[in-house]
Amino acid sequence: MAEATPILSVQDLVMHYTTRKGDVSAVDGVSFDLENGKSLGLVGESGCGKTSIAFSLMKLLPDNAKIKGGSIYVGGTDILQLSHDELLKFRWQRIAMVFQAAMNALNPVYTVGDQIIEALDLHWGDLSREQSRERIGQLFEMVGLDPKLMDRYPHEFSGGMRQRAVIAMALSCNPDIIIADEPTTALDVIVQDRILRELKKIQEKLGMSMIYISHDIAVIAEVSDRIGVMYAGRMAELADGVDIFEHPLHPYTYALMRAFPSIKGEKHELVTLPGEPPDLLFPPPGCRFHPRCPRATDVCKQEQPPFADNGRGHFVACWHPMEANHE
Amino acid sequence: MGKYILKRVGQILVTLLIFQTLLFVILTALPGDVTNRMLTNPDIPPEVRERTRQALGLDDPVLIQYGRWLGNFLTGNLGVSYSEYPKPVIDILLERIPRTVVLFLTASIVQFVVGFTTGRALAWRRGGFFEYGSTVVGVTLYTVFTPWFGLMMIFIFGARLRWLPLGKFLDPVIWRNAEITGLADSASKGNYVFTRMLLTASIAVVLWLLLTIFTRNMSTRRRNRARLGGTFLILATAVGIWAASEIGYLAWDIVKHMILPVVTITLVGFAGTMLLTRQTMLETLREDYIQTARAKGLPEKVVRDKHAARNAMLPVFTGLIINLPGAISGGIITETIFSWPGMGITLLNATTSEDIPLVMGTLSFIGLLTLTAHLVADVTYAFLDPRIRY
Amino acid sequence: MNMTVQTSSVDTAPPLWQMRLKLALKNFKSGWAIFKENPIGIIGLVLIVFFALLAALHPILMATAWEPAVYDPITGYDFEILIHPSPPTWIPQPDNPMWEFSFRHVLGTDPLGRDVLSQLMFSTRSEFLLGVGAALVTVLIATTIGAVAAYYGGLVDMIFMRIADVVYMLPFIALLIVLSSLFDFELIHLALVYGVLAGFGGTTIVIKSQALTIKVKAYIEAARIAGGNDLHIIFTHLVPNLLPLSFLYMMFTVTGAIFSEAVLSFFGLLDIRMSWGLMIQTAQAAGYLLNSWKYWYLMFPSGVAITLLCAAFYLVGRALDEVVNPRLRKR
Repeated sequence: MAEATPILSVQDLVMHYTTRKGDVSAVDGVSFDLENGKSLGLVGESGCGKTSIAFSLMKLLPDNAKIKGGSIYVGGTDILQLSHDELLKFRWQRIAMVFQAAMNALNPVYTVGDQIIEALDLHWGDLSREQSRERIGQLFEMVGLDPKLMDRYPHEFSGGMRQRAVIAMALSCNPDIIIADEPTTALDVIVQDRILRELKKIQEKLGMSMIYISHDIAVIAEVSDRIGVMYAGRMAELADGVDIFEHPLHPYTYALMRAFPSIKGEKHELVTLPGEPPDLLFPPPGCRFHPRCPRATDVCKQEQPPFADNGRGHFVACWHPMEANHE
Repeated sequence: MGKYILKRVGQILVTLLIFQTLLFVILTALPGDVTNRMLTNPDIPPEVRERTRQALGLDDPVLIQYGRWLGNFLTGNLGVSYSEYPKPVIDILLERIPRTVVLFLTASIVQFVVGFTTGRALAWRRGGFFEYGSTVVGVTLYTVFTPWFGLMMIFIFGARLRWLPLGKFLDPVIWRNAEITGLADSASKGNYVFTRMLLTASIAVVLWLLLTIFTRNMSTRRRNRARLGGTFLILATAVGIWAASEIGYLAWDIVKHMILPVVTITLVGFAGTMLLTRQTMLETLREDYIQTARAKGLPEKVVRDKHAARNAMLPVFTGLIINLPGAISGGIITETIFSWPGMGITLLNATTSEDIPLVMGTLSFIGLLTLTAHLVADVTYAFLDPRIRY
Repeated sequence: MNMTVQTSSVDTAPPLWQMRLKLALKNFKSGWAIFKENPIGIIGLVLIVFFALLAALHPILMATAWEPAVYDPITGYDFEILIHPSPPTWIPQPDNPMWEFSFRHVLGTDPLGRDVLSQLMFSTRSEFLLGVGAALVTVLIATTIGAVAAYYGGLVDMIFMRIADVVYMLPFIALLIVLSSLFDFELIHLALVYGVLAGFGGTTIVIKSQALTIKVKAYIEAARIAGGNDLHIIFTHLVPNLLPLSFLYMMFTVTGAIFSEAVLSFFGLLDIRMSWGLMIQTAQAAGYLLNSWKYWYLMFPSGVAITLLCAAFYLVGRALDEVVNPRLRKR
């Protein structure tokens, strides 16, 4: 691939949570690239490590979490090597985040406008009050909010409005990358859809890169150029959106897509996977999916499958991938 | 907001009515009638007793007496004190209420600031000697027997080290020689100076509020600078004016008398605030908006002081409101130990000298004071929490 | 067939009270397991046991080692010592040629020539009686009102809660000062009044809100459908589930009652013959306090005792709070 260097490049990221019972390997050797102006969707069940990746990208980890290895290059610099002060400048300026559960992502005692001004003041120097407010007005219009609302408090906003405000806040400093962690989970389906479409439009207009994180592959399929499917802290499959939908190679991806009603309205039987995701305190040896996999053989129980490119940028970590012409 | 305050005022008025009723019940439940006690008191001439009997209308039906009792309270007609005859009760109270309010308010604010600051620090630096030490010291002080602790403070700082006066409001020697035109006795000189001190404090508070309002629309950095400078300017001016004035040393004498009671109340009370702050801070730090603040790239100090502490303050403040009656009780005890001539010692002296009009008047006003404090605290809370404000 | 099975099951199954007892024991055991992990509660408990031993020891000592004429906490007087108050006899007194080492007065004597230790131990018992008495009254009132108000709701609830608001906002000490001077207060009256005030006030509010959460539980509904009358449901289903919380608030009531007694005695308003508060008052009234450290034994034993016993019940209450409110547990 002779394209420009990716804006974001994650290599062999390993992250552990230390608990009283032992180390939980929440992220175990995940690699992916994100090209400038493109979007990536990360999908997986809750607890599969997708949010842990998001927080690692901002190096915003709880006290008991530790990045054990790997590298995260954003525009050529490894953020894991940044000093604390550099890190503070890097956050929001380069990577901003639209948080999961936007209900509580805004501080209830400050006006929405003031919370955005805070980020502007921090990263864009001392703007005058008028300049800041003008900027927020632009942002509000961009996300479809009335600029007059900037002096209101979060509790006066509806769920959808709050989500838009959080998006406006993420956009405030023109970041290179925005991570949207379950951006619309708490909203009703219609608002969900509308906000995602608008987010996509903004992204294309501003030429930013996006990372969408969701447990629902159908929600982000439309807005993501590439989709990565995660299972138990590892990347199972990574491919272009269309490709992964039409030719899922990993049995887990296949099951995941069958677990939701089709977005195209085709009728198929809803499949539920037997069993539970593994306890990451004691992950199973070999392929972490093998206890639930219908295609598992002895090799799956012993050796971890390589995360290999099966041609045309379609990566999969499986000893027995589904046939490309499966359906 | 207006609606909320109105509702609270209504509730408080109902509470006050029930409280007054309770006092009336206590009064009528007394063995014999009130004036019987005056029979044995040689200081009170018989005609006063007769007058009081009529004034109290003890022969009327209970309901009429009750109505009169309420009416008298509303018009401030609380009768005449026996022990300080012929001073009207209301005059005595009006002189002493400001002293109690000033002492209580100062002590509460200092106590809150100390407790909140230490609690905030505790939540940040978990474990270690600092946390263990301040928790043990705090809980010990929190459960200490207040009168005993007050006496110990007097003993150490007043009697032994002689840094501070032993108690009371004024140093009689200084005040006897003080020259204030038109005033002869130290008590009225004291009131003269004290009133002016109160006035200065009120003006300073109003100015500070104006400062906050006018700096609201500045950019963050300029606002912080303006507020800091303005606050300093107001304080410096106030202190400067008093230092330059002729009665400055008299004001300093009053302040010196306040230090020990304030320190005592603070030491006894701050642990409650501290432990509550620590707990709510730890809970607040797990909230999503703390994560947001960190993601924005804010330094930890700003995350802690601006985002976490500001929200943690809300439950702490609620705790403070819940604790208000206890705090007032503590204030009454402390006042008495330090002979601070406020409501507490007035109540105690009136009860021991069986000055029933003064007892009832003082109790009514302590109740009124508690309820007002409650109202003020509730309104302040509404200003702190925008979810209630609108 | 069916009949026989039923009768045999009645024969073999333990009676209801036994099952209840077993259940209570189990609850107690799991509660204790949580309680004993918390050093705060253990410290409190040790202190309470220590004071209980002091109280129990006093009559024994009076009957055996201590001569009543000398050691009686109220009327005793030691003629062998010339100047009262006198310091503890085991501390060397270089300026006193008469001094010889003994444990005759471990904590010295007070200005009236009475043994301080004897006074201290004698008062402990009444502090306990006062505290526990007030707490029982409080819990009885608060639990009943809380359960009834929560169960019936509506007007009953409103009336009791308004009263609770008023009583809770009263500054207790001010009211007690007035009451104790207008009426002649003995310890038992104080326990009653304090118990009633605490029972109608804050404790009721807390217990009622707890009762509300229990009221909506399925077994209450089941009992109602099964035809249980209101009183039966309140006292066999609602109240037993409120008892842990009531027990917790008993601890705080004990602290409050002991503290109030000490304050009132200290102000000389109570009609009692001996108490910790009175001990401080005696010393203060006689003017011994602000002179020097020399008279520490008049000041410290009672002051520290009040502080420690209040702290003990308070600490046990804090620890019980963690047992009763799982939210506060550290996991």
